[in-house]
Amino acid sequence: MKITRTKAFKVFFTPIWESNPVSGQILGICSALAVTVQLKTAIVMSLALTFVLAFSNFSISLMRNLIPRNIRIIVELTVIATLVIFADQVLKAFLYDISKQLSIFVGLIITNCIIMGRAETYALGNPPFLSLLDGIGNGLGYSQILITVAIIRELLGAGKLFGFQVIPDALYAIGYKNMGFMVLAPGAFIAIGLIVWLQKTVSKE
Amino acid sequence: MSNHIKSIIFAAVLSIVCGSLLTLASTGLKEYQLKNIALDKQKNILKSVGLIKEDKALSKDTIEELYTNSIRQMWVDFEGKIVPKQQKGTKDLPVYLHVKNGNIQSYIIPVDSRGLWGRISGYLALKKDGVTVSGFSVYNHSETPGLGGEIEKRWFQKNFAGKKIIDDRGKLVSVAIAKGRVADKIPESRQKNFVDGISGATLTGKFLSGGLKLTLIEYEPLLKKIQKKED
Repeated sequence: MKITRTKAFKVFFTPIWESNPVSGQILGICSALAVTVQLKTAIVMSLALTFVLAFSNFSISLMRNLIPRNIRIIVELTVIATLVIFADQVLKAFLYDISKQLSIFVGLIITNCIIMGRAETYALGNPPFLSLLDGIGNGLGYSQILITVAIIRELLGAGKLFGFQVIPDALYAIGYKNMGFMVLAPGAFIAIGLIVWLQKTVSKE
Repeated sequence: MSNHIKSIIFAAVLSIVCGSLLTLASTGLKEYQLKNIALDKQKNILKSVGLIKEDKALSKDTIEELYTNSIRQMWVDFEGKIVPKQQKGTKDLPVYLHVKNGNIQSYIIPVDSRGLWGRISGYLALKKDGVTVSGFSVYNHSETPGLGGEIEKRWFQKNFAGKKIIDDRGKLVSVAIAKGRVADKIPESRQKNFVDGISGATLTGKFLSGGLKLTLIEYEPLLKKIQKKED
């Protein structure tokens, strides 16, 4: 059997493009609007979410036969909240400036629909290894959109990438101006909308 | 019945496991976090007197060096006299001095104000005349991001520079946050006592204005003293 036909491969790669949590299922939009003004915050947010998603899926899947059905949502939330607080603490200890910029959005990963969604629909019914792959896959799918949107917004809105100026001064000299609109939330709406459009058109074929 | 007991036991075990993991993480990382917070305070003190211009990423050593070279922490007693730590009384207030070649450039007053959701902590720096604001910075707040949270942004803070804390008659009025733009809302004679407000964050502005005023009233003996010295 070819590797592209295995279940694990599918579980890992479908959420990255075909059923991408952001552009395919329109989940996790709140944070995608809020933290994509700069590439740096978008990447840190992506890492934090991928970490939480991978381990919440993995640990919920490990416990899937033990979790009493009537309290499963509470259990899922407890696991997710523990991981999010842990991620937040690590950021505060080692990336303080970025953690201040992300402010409450790290804490809000708890309510990110992608994580609860994957725990409910996937991790509860599948073995740990596949759930881990599903978590990482979805995390990367989310990251990919976040990073693309952040590149568009930082480049057009501030003329920078990673805080370094990339648009040459010469261009400004002949009248080029930064698009202030891209720094605001509606800029992200339009960027995400275009990505959704692109995705729907491409995956139809 | 047994199902209920199973649920309760499961929930209890899970809480204990998650709780202890978090406690472990929190105590283990505390030291690093406290270091970051202390450094961030130093950075904001430097920012309030304009020693750090933009939100540039400066290394830890650069910030600490700048801080030790130009900032001194002192205390203000009830008469407004500046005393070193050894002579500090129990009710004395902290003040930071920005010193250059042995001369005081500005007085930095810690501000701890009420906010909409929690405390707002920051620094208000006054030039050596005791009247002109040289800068304002915020290092801790829990205001709504995008609305009241804008108080930590440069566009808001830079408006404080050059404002006066006294009115035309010399009365202490502090610097207040206007409801809207100063140029549109405030009569010209009082514009020097106001900074531009944040739309959507009227309450944050109101609380912070109040907090600044209360702080300055507390420090009035010191302010009187330095204003007199300048005359």
